[in-house]
Amino acid sequence: MEYDNRLLLKGNEATVYGALLAGCDCFFGYPITPASEIAHSAALLFPRLNRVFMQAESEIAAINMVFGASAAGRRAMTASSGLGISLKQEGMSYLATCELPAVVVDIMRGGPGLGNIGPEQGDYNQVVKGGGHGNYKCIVLAPNSSQEMCDLTSKAFDLADLYRIPVYVLTDGVIGQMLEPVTLPEPIAKKTFPEWSFDGTNASRRNFLTSIYLDHDDLEAVNIRLQEKYARIAGCEQQAELYQTEDAEIVIVGYGIVSRIARSAVMELRAQGVKAGLLRPVTLFPFPVDSLRKVAKTAKSLLCVEMSNGQMVDDVRLATEFSLPIHLYTRMGGNVPSVREITQKCLDILAQAGKGSQVRI
Amino acid sequence: MTEKKKKFSPVIAADECKGCGRCVKACPKRVLLMDHRLNAMGYPNAIYGGDGCVGCGSCFYSCPEPGAITIIEETED
Repeated sequence: MEYDNRLLLKGNEATVYGALLAGCDCFFGYPITPASEIAHSAALLFPRLNRVFMQAESEIAAINMVFGASAAGRRAMTASSGLGISLKQEGMSYLATCELPAVVVDIMRGGPGLGNIGPEQGDYNQVVKGGGHGNYKCIVLAPNSSQEMCDLTSKAFDLADLYRIPVYVLTDGVIGQMLEPVTLPEPIAKKTFPEWSFDGTNASRRNFLTSIYLDHDDLEAVNIRLQEKYARIAGCEQQAELYQTEDAEIVIVGYGIVSRIARSAVMELRAQGVKAGLLRPVTLFPFPVDSLRKVAKTAKSLLCVEMSNGQMVDDVRLATEFSLPIHLYTRMGGNVPSVREITQKCLDILAQAGKGSQVRI
Repeated sequence: MTEKKKKFSPVIAADECKGCGRCVKACPKRVLLMDHRLNAMGYPNAIYGGDGCVGCGSCFYSCPEPGAITIIEETED
């Protein structure tokens, strides 16, 4: 396929380009607004490059097709929105137990239930905390632009292969559907099949996969091995973007589209002479605990802005160990907070702090 | 040299529409509206008023459903 290095792409389309340039072999999808464009552009682009695109009969079928492709050593991905991710959770648990690499894109929409097709961040808990049954976690990357949708999807494949773990790319409907210029990275060389892959020959019989361990001690050993892997990931892969936090009194914490809006709010507050900053987690698991603790030492208060009922704020509280007041501002149901709302909330918090109040919301 | 007059019109695939109303809000000429009837999926779908489209593409870009809105350009000599 011929392409210019710079394209105008929706976030959803950029994720397909990122996957293809990372050498993704198979896409198994089932359309859902606001993630439909991923399946649409994958259907267009994958066959042109002699890769596999298949529309599954359901989300559950799609994740299990990913399981099969991944067990055979292929780079595989699927994409959905919150409702579809709920259905995929059983497959995610199996992928995590069998330590298979896979990339799953979650473009969050309004919930719970069927909800609506507006943007929300209500999938945080189900994606970052595991979501399915058992003691597992997945790496979660949270892009906030079309460019990052491309770059972090590529990175997701590398992390998935490196740690043999399913990786989520988690973002909201705004980032998925927003058109932005994207500079495409250089394609990486196609990788050989890993030695643990199963190719149907007698030689690879030893690579049979199972997630059933009837002996309790065997299963405990598997669990301990997984937890050690998660601890290793938490130590190495934390990533956060800091914006004007060095001298900030109040630091806004937000990911996805919220971080873009909060950045404008920080500029607005700085123009008014208020020392504000922004901490944007790029990885949600591992949560950027080190950056948060560093910021918590100098800031006087934190404001967590979310398009959910306040799910990430729990991780912020744990990371900072309640060492400073942590406030929360949320919008739900497909609504997006405005720069003015966030600015006003910051000013209110600072005014309240000035009165000597220690109210924690 | 005769100037060609361009005529645009949006074509809405009624059964693809989920009735979110974003195109209706996005249209600068206010020529899109929501139908009172429901489509095959049970949603009220957007319809074109029939006249006044300038082909700006706002409805196309605001629509979250791939393939639901197409803008057709007719050229007359």
